[in-house]
Amino acid sequence: MSHYKIIFTGPVGAGKTTAIESISDTPPIKTDASASDMTKAKKASTTVAMDYGIMNLADGEKIHLYGTPGQERFDFMWDILTTGGIGLILLLDNTRADPFQDMKFFLDSFQKFIAETNVAIGVTQMDLSNKPTINDYHIQLQGMGIKPPVFSVDARVKNDVSILVQSLLYSLDPGIEV
Amino acid sequence: MKDKRKSSLKIALHGMDDRAYKMMAMYLQGPCKGAAVVVEDLNAEVDIIDADSVKAKKLLEQRLTESDRPIIALSLQELAFKNILYVKKPIKTADLLSALSEADAIVSAKKKPQHSVGTHTKNTAALQAQDSIAKTENLLSSEKNQLKKQTTKTDEQKKTSKHQTAMQLDEGKFSAYIGSVPGLDVNDPKQFPDAVYNPKDYFQGYVQSALMVAEAKKQVLRLNSGWKSLIIFPHNHEVWLDADDKQLRAFASVAMNKISAPKMTLIPVESNPASIQEDLEKFHNKDAFLWKLAVWTSKGRYPSALDIHRAVFLKNWPNFTRLVVTPHALRISALLIAGPRTLPDIVEVLKIKLQYVFVFISAAYALGLVGQAKREVDEIFQPPAIKKSEQQGLLSRILGKLRANKS
Repeated sequence: MSHYKIIFTGPVGAGKTTAIESISDTPPIKTDASASDMTKAKKASTTVAMDYGIMNLADGEKIHLYGTPGQERFDFMWDILTTGGIGLILLLDNTRADPFQDMKFFLDSFQKFIAETNVAIGVTQMDLSNKPTINDYHIQLQGMGIKPPVFSVDARVKNDVSILVQSLLYSLDPGIEV
Repeated sequence: MKDKRKSSLKIALHGMDDRAYKMMAMYLQGPCKGAAVVVEDLNAEVDIIDADSVKAKKLLEQRLTESDRPIIALSLQELAFKNILYVKKPIKTADLLSALSEADAIVSAKKKPQHSVGTHTKNTAALQAQDSIAKTENLLSSEKNQLKKQTTKTDEQKKTSKHQTAMQLDEGKFSAYIGSVPGLDVNDPKQFPDAVYNPKDYFQGYVQSALMVAEAKKQVLRLNSGWKSLIIFPHNHEVWLDADDKQLRAFASVAMNKISAPKMTLIPVESNPASIQEDLEKFHNKDAFLWKLAVWTSKGRYPSALDIHRAVFLKNWPNFTRLVVTPHALRISALLIAGPRTLPDIVEVLKIKLQYVFVFISAAYALGLVGQAKREVDEIFQPPAIKKSEQQGLLSRILGKLRANKS
């Protein structure tokens, strides 16, 4: 049976672990550890290897949901994780000092994978910080020559994460019928 | 300070760019433990001004003459203005909390009619200063613990309508939700010419105009329609409507005639009515509100400004997690992002009913996301063929799973 996977990435604290938890059918396997670096200012523990969840489809097929660790020093893992992936979900924390820089960093880092598949962007923490707006993100992306879906997302809300993943799949093929 | 108050002190920030504004808002929420919260100017109790900004002098003069609210000035220089509290940069949490505490004391004194502002003597100020220092020390000691996100809900988080997740309509629920125009079958190509509507003939058109005026003037405005009050807050991209969805849906479909249209007035709002503060759930995100209003006004028709035989394009994806997701809206978006198409062409490619395309286009057009391809080149070239994914079956099963598991 093939190993299908959707990759969740983004900076520390963007909600990758929570988003996977929202749509996984099994309790996700977390590889959190106590934060000891700059991450400590954001949260008590953070993902140091990867998160893993599963969506069980009706025919017994499994979709594997992988969350990359947010810290840049783990970027050597990203290539390995994306091999054979269906597409990329990029989560951005709107309360970070420069979310556009984060966006550019991750889009550049996963450029090859995105070119082969597609990306959908979820912006989290918009209830705490409403700037930049979703439109501001679109303006930035326009300059980069891409038009991916960009949505406000509460990673705890299954429907938000679900719509984001759906948009990724339809971007891959609008003709899909359910 | 927080012990004494039921809610955080309401602050307006001035003279700060977007980044400084955001950092200050987060600083108040994080290190200052929510002692103050940033609100719209109209609702603020205290002003914080960056006294080192280019417009600082003008801002300070304006605030001192036009408002009796306490002012906290932030500056690298030592300031000694009368009636202005001063916090030296780089800002220390203790200094800011102390200034906020003093400002809070002034606000509280003004609120109590039995104690005039004049009774706010140096002695009471000194006592309050001591009080604030004690509280500051308590706050600072608690800062040794790791910062945690606020568990108390801010006003922003109480605006439940604004942050609610999208309602995803399936085909079954769709007709009941949007309603229909009697005697019109929008799915019948022969009835295309009748399947149009002009938003200007409905409440939608007036709301759109009012939103544009408020945005241009950067002014809080009230749209009086002879129905329910609609207040527009351009700074936060919010509207407040004194009606529920059921009432709005009914009113959206009523064509404005020569009698009702002149009753529409747009007036500045000088101060927020108390009811707004109490009814935070009546706040809507501007775009989500307009999208919903367009869906209900359209009832499956398309805007008359669009030529059905010319290709349309989508500027970017709508923010679907905060909008009503009409049937096939995600598919239509993905298709139009790939390239411009005519409305009948979308129907043909996706094999869906016309009304789903019309209603989506109406809502996206209201938000300014849809444009009509005007260049000849857009008409000459065939729209790009959809690249069929080799994994279509798998993707379909994943989508089926996601849609079945709606929370």
